[in-house]
Amino acid sequence: MTLADRIEVYRERIEEWLHGLYHGMIEHPAFELIEKEAEDTEDTFMFACFADAFGIPSPVSYYTAELLPYLGEEFQQWERRMWDRESLIERKGQQYHF
Amino acid sequence: MNKFVFFGGKGGVGKTTVSCAYGLKCVREGLKTLVVSTDPAHSTSDVFDQQFGDEPKPVEGYDDLWAMELDPDEEVQRHMREIKRTMSDQVSPSIVNEIDRQIELAHRTPGAYEAALFDRFIDVMRDSEAYDRVVFDTSPTGGTLRLLALPDFLEGWIDRLVSKREKSIDLYEKAAIGDREARRKTATDPIIARLTERKEMFEFAGRTLREDAAFFLVLNPDELSIHETRRAVEDLSEYDLGVEGLVINKIAPEPDEGEEGTGATYLRERYRTERERIERIETEFAQPVVARIGQRVEEVKGDLLADVADELDIEVAPEVSV
Repeated sequence: MTLADRIEVYRERIEEWLHGLYHGMIEHPAFELIEKEAEDTEDTFMFACFADAFGIPSPVSYYTAELLPYLGEEFQQWERRMWDRESLIERKGQQYHF
Repeated sequence: MNKFVFFGGKGGVGKTTVSCAYGLKCVREGLKTLVVSTDPAHSTSDVFDQQFGDEPKPVEGYDDLWAMELDPDEEVQRHMREIKRTMSDQVSPSIVNEIDRQIELAHRTPGAYEAALFDRFIDVMRDSEAYDRVVFDTSPTGGTLRLLALPDFLEGWIDRLVSKREKSIDLYEKAAIGDREARRKTATDPIIARLTERKEMFEFAGRTLREDAAFFLVLNPDELSIHETRRAVEDLSEYDLGVEGLVINKIAPEPDEGEEGTGATYLRERYRTERERIERIETEFAQPVVARIGQRVEEVKGDLLADVADELDIEVAPEVSV
């Protein structure tokens, strides 16, 4: 292995590390933040659709039930989240990795 | 005259009789007519002495007259079966049970019955090319009025749902900058597609009700039914739906001069108070009284129905007034 090759390998490794560091510190938390926000919006959507799952009669649940086949997985996750969630602060707090 | 004609009013005032008589009148003037009963206590079958179901059936003895009776319960069941069928294609069996519960719940809410009835209304209006005139004999005032107000209300609701959904998808797309695959995409989202489809349906219903439907209220010459009619007129105008006229039904006959028995005295007294009430209806309501129908001793059917049809002073010709 020539010196040039070794420098090349070394640089690649550094680059990978730097990218990993960037991803872990900046990129990923940002993605996560936006995705969490998206999930929150989705929760409000789900609640508007299926308020009756929590005992609040909803005039549109007859129509939104049509969406359930496409929301199957999400619906179940959402229901679990809604029952489990302690407070909004807890949920927001999950975004920060101390 | 508009293609869709609705007869509404308090329970027991004789909406079915009037609707059937009007249907008959239309047929006599050469219009192919469908009478749709939405009253859960279906009495079209009694008027025509013939059983009707959820599909239009020709009325025996009359050419070009068709009738059907909507059954919301059946529609609710059908809707539920359909969703469950779609679900077994889409969702993994492990969570089907959980979701089944939600679907059953949604079809048991008080609104389900109305929503189903409304769906059937829209179906009938959509598939009505074959008829020149469709006459709706509606369920008692409250329910029907809420039904007719639904399009506006539901459109608004669905708008909000769609914008929420779009927002969350937009965020997912933003989170997927770079070479990552977004978890959801607006263009291929089945939820937005479903909701938009529904919205178009409500828009169609709202437009048809505002532009191509006429409303008549049936009432009896008694205080309760006058009050209820006043409320109904107000409610309908709130939804931009104008009432074209009032039909006063079951008016007591006046006994002949010289009859003095207890029955005759009672009837004379009754006739007098009803006279006053009818005058009040004529002056207090902005809508014209299009028919005054006397009370019949027998159930109105057969030839009697034809008599009642003659008493209806409602325009039939399709080209007149829009």
